[in-house]
Amino acid sequence: MDFLPRILIALLCVAASTSATATTIEMNVNGLVCAFCAQGIEKQLRKFPATADVIVSLEKKLVAVALRDDQDIPDTDLRRALTNAGYTVKAIERTQTPLAELRECLRQGKP
Amino acid sequence: MLRWSIGLAGACALAGYVNVVAKPIAFAGGYTVMAEYGAGTMTEEQFFYAPRYDLSFGGGHVELDSDETAKTRRISYARLNYLLHRWNLDDAQGSLFVWGGLGSATGNTFKGSVLAESAGAQADYETRRIYASFKTDWQGSSAFSHRIDTLQLGLAPYRHDYGGLATWFLIQARQYTGAIHRGTESAVLLRLFKGGVWVEAGVTNGGKLQAMAMLNF
Repeated sequence: MDFLPRILIALLCVAASTSATATTIEMNVNGLVCAFCAQGIEKQLRKFPATADVIVSLEKKLVAVALRDDQDIPDTDLRRALTNAGYTVKAIERTQTPLAELRECLRQGKP
Repeated sequence: MLRWSIGLAGACALAGYVNVVAKPIAFAGGYTVMAEYGAGTMTEEQFFYAPRYDLSFGGGHVELDSDETAKTRRISYARLNYLLHRWNLDDAQGSLFVWGGLGSATGNTFKGSVLAESAGAQADYETRRIYASFKTDWQGSSAFSHRIDTLQLGLAPYRHDYGGLATWFLIQARQYTGAIHRGTESAVLLRLFKGGVWVEAGVTNGGKLQAMAMLNF
């Protein structure tokens, strides 16, 4: 019976990620295998005034930043922050998926 | 100076063909505090600050107590660590560190304190399920020369994620030069970490405690 809620969450994830205005920056990161070593990512990204929240997922090799309203972080600054944390950014994508939804998608194991 | 250079070159060469232990550089702007109790033979404390992701400096204190003779060494040192290379792969990470430093040593086989030099290297490879590391650490002076080589191989029973508890089972093999311990000391270890706190503990083949704790912040 948990079939319907799973479909709804999946649809919500897909719909939110295809919207136009960016509220979240999603980064695909290489080398993300150890949570102890990955703490630097959160510390580096939270230094930006535009950062509202941060998610790190080793499973999805994903680092996501929730942006404050009408703010952004340049790609060069993002790449530098991840380099300073010891990692390599493979791809950067801006989406409108709220971080809470993304967190729930990750918890549910959705793409 | 020549001996220091040879020591560093030797350490780098060793690291080239083997794999590590806790990393001496956390992240840019990060601090690392480590303490290790090595079966009563080696006790070490370290503190490092990393102004860059590939560089850290700080100091430490190591005590060596031979279990073959009554020989003791007490060495306090300042040290510079450098990340020579990092491999950030899709599902793995590898790192190669080198370090060197200067300090002061006392012991019960020579008089007073002497200038001590140190050099070492560390190489590691890890995925979310397997871990391999090798560290070689040399301390020398006009009165002594000791090298400690440590190999660790680990297996995680599950893939941990950020914010969760990580669990690792490890085997460790360690050799000392300079008549500190004869032969290879082996140990089985349990490693746990969550957030910025890392602890590991186990027992050696001699039935002694082997433990380490580390904080990153």
